[in-house]
Amino acid sequence: MAPIALLEARGISKTFGKVRALHRVDFHINPQEIVGLVGDNGAGKSTLIKILTGVYPPDEGEIYFQGHRVHFSSPKDARALGIETVYQDLALIEQMSIARNFFLGSEIVRRLGILPLLDSRAMEATTEEVLRGLGITSLRSADEEVRVLSGGERQAIAIGRTLHFGAKLLILDEPTSALSIVETQKVLGYIQEAKRRGLSVIFITHNLYHVYPVADRIVVLEHGKKVGDLRKEEASLEDIVNMIAYGGTQA
Amino acid sequence: MTKSAEIKQVAPPARKRDLWRRALGAREVGVLIALVAVIGVFSVLNRNFLTVDTFGDILTQAAELGIAAVGVTFLMIAGEFDLSVGSNFAVAGVMLALLTTRLGWSPFLSIPLVLAAATSVGFLNGVITLGTRIPSFITTLGTMMFWRGIALAITGGWPIYVLGSSRMLDLLGGMAIYQTVRISALWWLIITLIFWLLLVRTPYGNWTFATGGKPEAARALGVPVGRVKLTNFALAGMLAGFAGFTQFGRMGSMSPVWGDGLPLEAIAAAVIGGTSLMGGAGTILGTVLGAITMASIRVGLIMVGAPSYWYTAFLGAVIVVAVILNVRLGEMMTWRR
Repeated sequence: MAPIALLEARGISKTFGKVRALHRVDFHINPQEIVGLVGDNGAGKSTLIKILTGVYPPDEGEIYFQGHRVHFSSPKDARALGIETVYQDLALIEQMSIARNFFLGSEIVRRLGILPLLDSRAMEATTEEVLRGLGITSLRSADEEVRVLSGGERQAIAIGRTLHFGAKLLILDEPTSALSIVETQKVLGYIQEAKRRGLSVIFITHNLYHVYPVADRIVVLEHGKKVGDLRKEEASLEDIVNMIAYGGTQA
Repeated sequence: MTKSAEIKQVAPPARKRDLWRRALGAREVGVLIALVAVIGVFSVLNRNFLTVDTFGDILTQAAELGIAAVGVTFLMIAGEFDLSVGSNFAVAGVMLALLTTRLGWSPFLSIPLVLAAATSVGFLNGVITLGTRIPSFITTLGTMMFWRGIALAITGGWPIYVLGSSRMLDLLGGMAIYQTVRISALWWLIITLIFWLLLVRTPYGNWTFATGGKPEAARALGVPVGRVKLTNFALAGMLAGFAGFTQFGRMGSMSPVWGDGLPLEAIAAAVIGGTSLMGGAGTILGTVLGAITMASIRVGLIMVGAPSYWYTAFLGAVIVVAVILNVRLGEMMTWRR
């Protein structure tokens, strides 16, 4: 009855020295779903994500992508399947133009003999189209330097890049932690738009209030264990806040 | 529907402001102001300064520096330095002089061979720097001394003279192509155009900016950061060697002590022209204007009869003023937003 999960992890455990970072955690995300992964600092959110993206191997447990068992030996393997992670620093280069950032490493070129020349017009047009499609109204030209953009708009470049280059799963690490309320609202809008276009999103945050408005499901980690996994229809914001505050009594 | 209408209404004034912002924000404005000021001062002091002949002299003076500075600019944008370009310049010039005069080798063999050697010297700087993770400012300080020593050792410290003229020397730098403009200025122009194209119009140029701007981000997006740096070290070496050839061609002799001020002058030309010392930003046009500014000062001071020591003092002042202008204009650009 349930659809095949896009990504599923079963019984993931990970220990660093004497510290048990994760203990038998099950986690899954469906196609076109937004999952909020919440928990305090040290709850195991980053460790789980790093395992799902191939940064670390798990000590125990299995990972399935679209129903097939996968073993990631490096982040490249995960990326090849369409799992993109956007970290807080966003991998954007301030002094470069928006379009050049957008296409960095995957530039559009026209060949002049042996010389590959950048097709700036095509790169700028595509970037503007993707960003406007995500809902950025203030963009003047993709030829402008990234440093003129606000924090939220920078997130949009990272999200748009993922969308454009055909990823299936976007993992956002604390995308709103450094943003104002208005900027946070914008980013939530981009995330919903990305979902509407077929992407699944894992939204990692320690601030439940940021993810609750857009999430389909909230997964709560605490001390390396999953203490809650609730569809939004099943749980009010208050239930989840209580769950985080008092530890998982499964609401 | 209403949304797109709104955007259309806003667009025209934004475009107009864009033009202003772009004109003011262009990295070359600082150096352009410095150049105009320098030319202005010398034109007032000596009426002959503003002539075609003088401009030819300036271009000739600027060419060798300019050629080496193009490579240094690339490397600085990628976030690295090369202090050994002056020594590489001397070794290349001396080697070409030795091979073609003492050993009687053909220029067709010697030029590619020595150019390959100069490229390897640059490449080696890169290998040492990236392999040891020691800042290139230090590694190339070492290779600067090492290769200068080699140049002195193979010549015994004496310049190598070529008796009479040769076609090779003419083509490398000796020949005048228009009044006082030498062919070295043409080489400089060609090299500038090629490297400008490489920097602003190719993925490689994009990667160079990204490598110097934020290496971790570049790497995360699949840019081969190490290879980009290595290539730029090699290019800086190659252009330093070629600059040595033009000097040899222009003077008809090559001394192992020449080019000792070149590394810092090349960095100065780049920085006056708006290239960042931190990497990630810079333009070839800016460096060209920087080299012309420096050569104008040199030629201008000679024409007004100032003792040559003043060159260094004047240059120092211009560097500081140009960099202040660059920084201030950069800030203004951000405020305008």
